[in-house]
Amino acid sequence: MSSNQLSTSSASEPATDKRKWANPSILAGLVVIIALLPLLLSSPYILHISILIFVYIIASVSLRTITISGQFPLAHGAFMGIGAYLAGMASRWLGWQPWLTIPLAAIATAGIGMLIGFPFSRLRALYYAMGSLFFGIGVIYIIYAGGTWTGGYAGLIGIGGMFGGSRVAYYYFFLGLALVSVIALYRFEFSRIGINLKAIAQSHLVASSVGINEGWYRILAVGVGCFFVGLAGASYAHYNTVLSTSSFNFMATLWLVMYVLIGGIDSFAGPIVGTIILILISEFSRDLKVFSPYLSAGILLIVVYLMPQGLVSLPQLIKSRLFERRKEKKISHVPGN
Amino acid sequence: MFLEIKGLTKQFGGLTAVNQFDMYVNKGEIVGLIGPNGAGKTTLFNLITGVLRPTRGKVIFDGEDITGRKPHTVAARGIGRTFQLNPLFANFTVLQNVSASFHLHPRSSLLDIYFNTKTYRRNEAYILEQSLEVLKLVGLDRVKDELAKNLPHGYQKMLGIARALAVKPKLLLLDEPIAGMNPDEIDFTMIGVRKTQQQGTTIVVVEHNMQIMDLCDRVVVINFGHKIAEGLPKEVRENKEVARAYFGGEHAA
Amino acid sequence: MELAVATVTNLLILASMYILVALGFAFLFNMLGILNFAHGVIYMLGGYIGLALISALGINQWAALIISAVIIGAFGIFLERFCFRPFIGNFNRIVMICVAVIVILQTSVNIIVGTQITSLPSFAEGVLRVGLASVSYERIVTFAIGALLLGAIMWFVNRTKWGQQMQAISQDMQGAFLQGINVHRISALASFIGCALAAIAGCLIGAYLSLGPFMGDFMLVKVLILAILSGVGSISGIFIAGLVLASLDSILPLLVSGAASDAIAVGIVVVLLLIRPQGFFGHEMEM
Repeated sequence: MSSNQLSTSSASEPATDKRKWANPSILAGLVVIIALLPLLLSSPYILHISILIFVYIIASVSLRTITISGQFPLAHGAFMGIGAYLAGMASRWLGWQPWLTIPLAAIATAGIGMLIGFPFSRLRALYYAMGSLFFGIGVIYIIYAGGTWTGGYAGLIGIGGMFGGSRVAYYYFFLGLALVSVIALYRFEFSRIGINLKAIAQSHLVASSVGINEGWYRILAVGVGCFFVGLAGASYAHYNTVLSTSSFNFMATLWLVMYVLIGGIDSFAGPIVGTIILILISEFSRDLKVFSPYLSAGILLIVVYLMPQGLVSLPQLIKSRLFERRKEKKISHVPGN
Repeated sequence: MFLEIKGLTKQFGGLTAVNQFDMYVNKGEIVGLIGPNGAGKTTLFNLITGVLRPTRGKVIFDGEDITGRKPHTVAARGIGRTFQLNPLFANFTVLQNVSASFHLHPRSSLLDIYFNTKTYRRNEAYILEQSLEVLKLVGLDRVKDELAKNLPHGYQKMLGIARALAVKPKLLLLDEPIAGMNPDEIDFTMIGVRKTQQQGTTIVVVEHNMQIMDLCDRVVVINFGHKIAEGLPKEVRENKEVARAYFGGEHAA
Repeated sequence: MELAVATVTNLLILASMYILVALGFAFLFNMLGILNFAHGVIYMLGGYIGLALISALGINQWAALIISAVIIGAFGIFLERFCFRPFIGNFNRIVMICVAVIVILQTSVNIIVGTQITSLPSFAEGVLRVGLASVSYERIVTFAIGALLLGAIMWFVNRTKWGQQMQAISQDMQGAFLQGINVHRISALASFIGCALAAIAGCLIGAYLSLGPFMGDFMLVKVLILAILSGVGSISGIFIAGLVLASLDSILPLLVSGAASDAIAVGIVVVLLLIRPQGFFGHEMEM
């Protein structure tokens, strides 16, 4: 099944599997360290990168959530843009405050996602992918055609900020948002809802024969996924106060897909790992200036050719290599040799 | 009549897979549906369970017209089924395959599921208990933590049956349940089917293998999409039409 | 009158260029089930290599066209052999590779050429006057090359042994293999031809319009639309889809703004996809 054309995450990882390092105390410790970061390093640049990481973690994990149901959306960047532009426009033209625009934009994004997903998700997975691909492209064109309202080619400016622009405040806001989103999506996947989605992905015939309403669940997955990416986009709009379509076009969607695939689509932590690694690489290779994209491309190639399960499988790969070496050593020490 | 099929027809473009098919099943019966390969048996099951929409005709179950209803609705009405090619949740363990299939009974609401309420936890514990029982029933409890795709063929078919039982079906449709099984597994399955009937489940069995007829109260024979014979197993076994359908000539069964 | 002539000629040129590039994409899609998202940057690279050959070697644009086609075609063989063939059937990995290729090529072009718009020297000068209308020779020549190539491809696909083998593979790869068709070699050939065509289109558009850093993205969208609307396994469908899309792209901008016409065109595509997701001319995809 996962060797098939549109390989989605579904369930190489059985529903109740929890990795060793998903141990709650380790995670709590990590969160504490991350929370203390601004007090240790007050560089605005580092805070900015961290905020971007938080935003894209929400986006990439929510992308993967949709893939659990066997569908592969190719418009997630555009949906982030929908959330961002809706919030941005409401703020710029209607003067609405972030606490209003952000949740509403997220809900609207979910609604639009479900509306588009509905006709396509009843078809085969490939058609959903293609439909979403063209929808995503169309959204960008619509934004271009929006003239002054959307800022067109030049972009949207003048969006209201939050917290008086304090980057530390933004940091904690996005940290909290990312935590809540990740926990919410985690619960979604590892509850019976997620089990049903994974069941549909593995065999929609069997799933429907035991009473699972596949159409409904697929739409649910899309709605949840789009809600959170819309949330991320809308929050980003209020942080950046400026929006341009280059953050939400097809390449942006492909990069979100990369974050998921590089990290490992079969694991919940995959997108998180992928996002962090790729964003850090692209930022810290700034010294290489124009050459930095090569590094990111290089990582892609390494993962494709050497780490099919994504970066999360790296510890296991290393362990099995070491294990093989030890086995060989043991054999050569058999007495009588 | 528990299940009534009236004039059921399915056309795929120029090909008529099922043709004006009539059939009935009484409560508590085991009815066999036999016919050569390609006769339309699986298509019939697909029509009953809503995987395919009929071109014409009606399916009435327990007094309710379920013609053309979606598969998950049909399952909720109490019809469970196995599949000929036996798809499974390949990447789930045996236990997960069954526990996932307990989706309908008991049914937790979405909110209960998501917020991990007491109701949900109680339901899940009950489902776990029931899953283990079903696995014991079909003899798979020792491999409950194996991935379904790693099971040998006969075990996989058992798993398919276990999964169908999880729906707590009032009517169980078995599509070639003993195909590919070894003699021990076949005996075990036949005993299990009889036991299930004794517990009150009505069963329709599709089989290519005529051995299954020993179990059946009645047998219906289908060929080229329509009914060619019906009656007690003994009668059908001696029916010349049936022999011709299977062997293309006059042979003793 | 002028407007009508200009629109029609533009439409024909766009159509022939879209189809030229989309065919290359369709070959890989039909035969191997591969969605080569990098096909857009390959097209772009063809145009830029043409420009580089002209400025570095001082040759004329016709020679540059041919050499660029060969170079890019060779790259296509490399891609098929080392980047796509190992991962046939694995959409995830193919997407990753395509993104890597896109990033590498796009970055390289950005570094070497920068982001300004340039162009190739035109393939013909002067204007033809027929009665009240006038058409530039450049348009005529561009369209002529495109049409000739398309004709050649159609002949190749339908009348030569290799072309028919390509068709066999796109209908049933296993079956073709069992019949003794060397699937690997034919795939490599198809990839060569496809990329060479894209490179030629890149040079032609580079002369007719311009070379810019976004031309790859632009063409990728057109190619995807043509391939998906046409469906798997149909080459003639690409022609029809190409004419339809080029018509939309030529006529809509006369009625609404450029961005709006793009949006409308894609909107129509989405609706068409809903009506017939497997495309209008191909056969059902196996999943």
